[in-house]
Amino acid sequence: MSFDVAKMAVEAAVKAGADYADARTGTDETESLTVRNQEMEGIDRTTSSGVGVRVLAGGRWGFAATSRQDEEDVVRTATLAVEIAKAASRRPGAPVQLSPVEPVVASWRGSMEEDPFTIPLEEKVALLMEGTRRMQTVPGVSFAEGGLDLFRRSTWFASSDGAAIDQVVVHSGGGLEATAIADGDVQRRSYPNSFRGHVKAAGWEHVRTLGLIEEAERTGREAVELLAAPECPSEVTTLILDSGQVELQVHESIGHPIELDRVLGMEEAYAGSSFLTTEDRGKLKYGSPLVSVTADATLTGGLGSFGFDDEGVPAQRVPILVDGIFQNFLTSRETAPVVGQTSNGTSRADGWSHLPLIRMTNISLEPREGSLAEIIGDTKDGIFMATNQSWSIDDKRINFQFGCEIAWRVKNGKVTQLYKNPNYTGITPEFWGSCDAVGGREEWTVWGTPNCGKGQPGQVGRVGHGTSPARFRGVQVGVR
Amino acid sequence: MPGLIGEDRFRAVAAAALELKGVDGVEVLYTHEWGGLTRFANSVIHQSTFREDTGLRVRVVSRNRAGVASSNDFSERGAREAAASAMEMAQVAPPDPLFPGLAPKAAVIDVDRFFEGTAESTPAARAEAVHRLIDTCPSGFVAAGAFETAAAELGIANSEGQVCWSPGTLASLTTVMTGGEHGSGFAEAFSGSVEHIDPEALGGRAADKAVRSQRPVVLDPGTYPVVLEPAAVATLAGFLAYVGFGGRGYIEDRSCFSGKAGQQVAAPSISIWDDGTDANTLGAAFDFEGVPRHRVDLIKDGVFQDAVYDLRTGKQADRPSTGHGLPAPNTEGPFPLNLFMAEGDASVDDMIRATDRGVLVTRFHYSNIVNPIESSITGMTRDGTFLIERGEVVGPVMNFRFTQSIIDALTNVSFVGSKAELASEFFFSASRVPALKIEAFHFSGRSDH
Repeated sequence: MSFDVAKMAVEAAVKAGADYADARTGTDETESLTVRNQEMEGIDRTTSSGVGVRVLAGGRWGFAATSRQDEEDVVRTATLAVEIAKAASRRPGAPVQLSPVEPVVASWRGSMEEDPFTIPLEEKVALLMEGTRRMQTVPGVSFAEGGLDLFRRSTWFASSDGAAIDQVVVHSGGGLEATAIADGDVQRRSYPNSFRGHVKAAGWEHVRTLGLIEEAERTGREAVELLAAPECPSEVTTLILDSGQVELQVHESIGHPIELDRVLGMEEAYAGSSFLTTEDRGKLKYGSPLVSVTADATLTGGLGSFGFDDEGVPAQRVPILVDGIFQNFLTSRETAPVVGQTSNGTSRADGWSHLPLIRMTNISLEPREGSLAEIIGDTKDGIFMATNQSWSIDDKRINFQFGCEIAWRVKNGKVTQLYKNPNYTGITPEFWGSCDAVGGREEWTVWGTPNCGKGQPGQVGRVGHGTSPARFRGVQVGVR
Repeated sequence: MPGLIGEDRFRAVAAAALELKGVDGVEVLYTHEWGGLTRFANSVIHQSTFREDTGLRVRVVSRNRAGVASSNDFSERGAREAAASAMEMAQVAPPDPLFPGLAPKAAVIDVDRFFEGTAESTPAARAEAVHRLIDTCPSGFVAAGAFETAAAELGIANSEGQVCWSPGTLASLTTVMTGGEHGSGFAEAFSGSVEHIDPEALGGRAADKAVRSQRPVVLDPGTYPVVLEPAAVATLAGFLAYVGFGGRGYIEDRSCFSGKAGQQVAAPSISIWDDGTDANTLGAAFDFEGVPRHRVDLIKDGVFQDAVYDLRTGKQADRPSTGHGLPAPNTEGPFPLNLFMAEGDASVDDMIRATDRGVLVTRFHYSNIVNPIESSITGMTRDGTFLIERGEVVGPVMNFRFTQSIIDALTNVSFVGSKAELASEFFFSASRVPALKIEAFHFSGRSDH
């Protein structure tokens, strides 16, 4: 796959009647390993290549993609994209207007020191075997699981405006999960984060820093300890979240509501819309003055980092919330003119076979001051929750309920009683409005969310979030 | 428009992988999917797509060590390269002491689920159907949704001589109509054939809900009797399958049904089974290991029977595979993809008439597990939530958050609907469930719309 196929597709689309066309050829490669109780659960590689063609014809979008790469099939696919766009005019409506973008000829590579695909499989297997072995040394651990996930996406983008951009991103990550089962109860602990660990835009050097061996026994021990712990009590209290759970909180209750396509009703039937309106910029109090959030596609290590989005718009750093006040949506070339702007470069596709949609880049809660220990030390009474376990939020991103793996009572500045099955619920602006502490740079971690769902047909987005631990007042915990 | 690649070509490409020397076994899983989706919002067609892709997933086994490699290069070269890559991984993998072997040669029931008119549906035809649906949208309201027509081939071939191949089609139309004063209504339809999709009827249902759900009032959270329409019941059934019916969780004591075989776990009116051979579902009549599917009773007259198994968990539990294997490498274990819930004899109107004070729920949104061992989940109501008083729907209410054990809900079923409806979350999966009346259902919070 290369520019040749992308340019061939663009030319065929224009010849078939497209007013504008762009095409992405691409190859996605993955390698995934899972070890459970020192036995191989799964080891697999995938490769997927193809071309996707997007056209504007008569003011409407059409998109078609195929894994077939010979000229006849590429031309057929491009022609079909135009046919799809023309069919859309069966319903009347205002024609799509694109915000301008300078066509760029460029090449971009994500940062990576050590190509994870060249590391011997034996080394990867040995890492997971030792991690699971150490978890299994803890009496009561029923299942000790470790996983590694490697991802490389190579993309060649061409447009009828003359853009030609090739990019390569590499993502690497891994994690551990211990499960303890007894007397009809099942408890889990994960490290460094749940749902297969900590993935970053980086090479194998990231996996080397994860500490999977060093943290294995503690992970197993906490899973077993949870079995004997009481349920998290139901009360309204002060809530402290670790940075991993703040990541999920930012993703669901800030990252999604600020997507302008949701605000404009374009996702209404599936993922839903947003409580935000186009009139809220610069006015709406989204959170307390400690809450500043940035969308930054240039952030080192973020899964949402790139040189150019899938419309050829350069990566940008955009203020979303400044001292609690809502400032900007995530926009695309199609949607930005609605709010009088040009695209801020967040139109991204799940590989060659999907239409670009507005997706999060790296949506980060900017760090303030202090360590987690200092936040806890400054808390008279409350609950400290860590590591996401489940999530649910309504179609306007207002009412949420999130569960964590583990919690502790904080009493007079000290972590005391352990609790299992903790969860909490809230209303988005009220919750962020109650934030009275955000940890400092030393606690700030760039997390990866490689499984964000959106769109029809369904797409999986790979996005990032930089977060520190944070504290919230007057939160309902222990929902039953 | 692409068409079927066909069994003969699949066999030829698979043979290139199966000829791999020096290993104990090879399995080739083949997929070929194509189709279009016409998406609309604000009563305008805004995102229309078409996609064609192939997949070859080759599993190589050597001395009880397995490796898997996938490629969408559907060619003899692609098959050989995937096999070589899988063999490389198998050589470094530790042995799996529970490896059950590949599926033996066995006959598969021939179920015809391929409708040419659906596979060949054009962008213009989908746009016309969407146009007709949107035309039912009341003044002051807008329609959003998607109309998909898709086709797929699924094939399995392995070195034990098992070969299966099956084509199928799917047509689905969903819509949400919004407008007026916070009105919102939803309707959906799934079928193997596009001929069974009626855009006007579907639009009419959504429009009626949207108009009637305007000006919702606040109802305090709490425990209420509920009437759940089939789309809402499909959410409960799907999550119950996830936390309960898989053989791996069941034998590892992680299932909400572990240790409960033969026990009453639901009202006697509740029977749930899985049957990939039933004409009224979607997908293939064999699983992703090439094992033939057949009916498996999961809950019968409220009594839990057994879980579903693949080859590996079947070996662990000393049972045969029930034909519920997922694609290798499968770290989740077997899963039922073709659920059915037995119909009763009540209409939704009967259920409403029998309710003194309760809530009518059209569907749930963004549900997730709270506690798997208790089958407890949370989620929101959406697109049509109504208060019932003295046997009548009296008006819309603000959407609720629910936090509820599914088993407890099914234990409190008092009426079962007489008409099951098909719902599908992805291509090879579907459930067919009726409406239910549940006497106690817990709403733990509410939203502002």
